[in-house]
Amino acid sequence: MEQSRGRTSPNNYFEDFKPGQVIAHARGKTVTEMDNVLLTNMVMNTADGHFNEHRMQQQARGIPGFNTRIVYGGISFSMVIGLAAQDTGEQVLEERGMDKIRLRAPVHHGDTLYAFTEVLEKLDGDRGDAGIVRFKHYGINQDDKLVYEGERTVLMKRRSPVA
Amino acid sequence: MKDDIVADLRARAKPWARGNRFEDFPVGRTFRHHWGRTLTAGDNVLFATLTLHYNPLYTNVDYARANGFAELVVCPLLLFNTVFGMSVEDLSEGGGPFLGVDGLTYHRPVLVGETVYAESEVVARRGTESRPEFGIVTWHTRGTDAKGGLVVDYQRTNLVRRKR
Repeated sequence: MEQSRGRTSPNNYFEDFKPGQVIAHARGKTVTEMDNVLLTNMVMNTADGHFNEHRMQQQARGIPGFNTRIVYGGISFSMVIGLAAQDTGEQVLEERGMDKIRLRAPVHHGDTLYAFTEVLEKLDGDRGDAGIVRFKHYGINQDDKLVYEGERTVLMKRRSPVA
Repeated sequence: MKDDIVADLRARAKPWARGNRFEDFPVGRTFRHHWGRTLTAGDNVLFATLTLHYNPLYTNVDYARANGFAELVVCPLLLFNTVFGMSVEDLSEGGGPFLGVDGLTYHRPVLVGETVYAESEVVARRGTESRPEFGIVTWHTRGTDAKGGLVVDYQRTNLVRRKR
């Protein structure tokens, strides 16, 4: 148990965030066919628009971007939140909720996602060792196009517990 | 000869359709979605690592125990996506993009080894002038544990294809 101590970042506790702060996260990720098809199938999302290239090409339905497999939106935005997670989630004890999730543009295999976060609000909450932070996360692609926005509320460790 | 078999299948087979359309969603209709899913350590570590979700509660059981959990915590986004995934055949497989989610609450942390189920109710539907072949449907989806206790719920909105 002691071995697991001190293995996370020193600068991403409740005290380190301020409402209005905007963060550009360090890494991007190119969403591959492996990511989308593996995770879509693993969570048993049965919509074959995410894993049947043949049908998507044959039945192009006149919606721009929908003539090839679409990355399942839940995976796209999980990736965006993941890209923000080392900074805004490493000290999280409990994820509390999400709101106003909007998928602004389809994501395809080979697209690269980057994440930005704005700190919306901080609340003391009901325990001394952690507080509530509400974030707004944004995901953009390699063309600077907005693909995702949504809020997320977490219970985050304090560096120094308060009485 | 092989081509004859394919031609014969094409001639005799009747499609076994899956999924629903806009007209199938009167407000108040409920769905008890298929299967249920036990969330394993393998699922959780694969999901958390592929999505770069670097909170060791999901990938280091030593750390999870030091923070008061008996087992690895299921990455909440895996919980959400699994509940969502099980709802897709009933709700959205009939065609139409996923537009958004509102009011999602995680009611408690779920631990690796737990089994989750999903159910939904239609809460709103309306037409859309810009795409007459589609309508917009909103559902309230609930994810529950093996005892029926609520673990996650949210409202989801999709564009849904109408019957031809």
